[in-house]
Amino acid sequence: MHDSGSGRMARRAIKATSKEPRLVEYASKEPSAFAEMLGGLIEANVLANAEKKKDFDTLVARVGIWVTDIEEGVTLVFDAGQLTVYNGLEPQRTITIRAEAETVMSLSNLKIGVFGMPVYYDEVGRSVALKLVRGKLKIDGMLPNIATLNRVTRIFSVQ
Amino acid sequence: MAVKAFSSEWAELFKDEVNKSSVYKAAGKGWKWTVGLVVEAEPDKHFPESRGVVMDLFDGEARDITVGPAADAQKCDFVITAPYSRWKQVATKELDATKGMLQGKLKLKGDLPTIVRYTKASQEMTECTTRVPVEWPDEQ
Repeated sequence: MHDSGSGRMARRAIKATSKEPRLVEYASKEPSAFAEMLGGLIEANVLANAEKKKDFDTLVARVGIWVTDIEEGVTLVFDAGQLTVYNGLEPQRTITIRAEAETVMSLSNLKIGVFGMPVYYDEVGRSVALKLVRGKLKIDGMLPNIATLNRVTRIFSVQ
Repeated sequence: MAVKAFSSEWAELFKDEVNKSSVYKAAGKGWKWTVGLVVEAEPDKHFPESRGVVMDLFDGEARDITVGPAADAQKCDFVITAPYSRWKQVATKELDATKGMLQGKLKLKGDLPTIVRYTKASQEMTECTTRVPVEWPDEQ
């Protein structure tokens, strides 16, 4: 009995060390500013919101984001509660989003409505939908992965 | 009349532009944090000492904008840091501030979700800087 109690204490002590895996890791020793920004944004969102954390803990997907007007991108590899951010586009992506910087920022400003669906009928949502229709926002792999895209949008959204 | 870049006169005109902007008034609703701009020295561009622009912004209004030591700006809730010539590029519309931040040309410190939520307000703030006529020290 005594020993098992000591064991619990010991495990607690180990858990508190800095070796505990962080929610967001960077594949490169020198992550790009864009990679750090997206990683930081997602981490802050997930830590601040239990619903986003639930999505984060179940999401398994490789999401590429390419910002066309700065010719820079990242790949976000979600692995059920862990995110690794890569500089640039990595192979075997589930979804790839290609848009200008302003549109990428708009994506993170999409409101989330009933049943966790992104809202496309307010000002920000309409502008995102219009860009999708006009080809200024391209999402490869969108149709077979709508549920994944919605989950990524929820995690990404600051609203 | 043009004013010296990042001087007290510039800060006054910048504040007037922000408060004239109906776009900022709407987009900045709910904002309640201070913003510091650190303009790093570039002696070869005749900007010998770093300066700090401290912006007291509240609910769509600029209550005060002052220019002083860089250390003052570094104490703000949000701090954006770049060398003089980068800020000049922003103020002359050569560099979009959003792109600059994504590229790491402008370094941002502060709560990311909050600043992203106010992207439109920060874009309009940048627009306001472009409306202030400026004398650039490296052009004299």
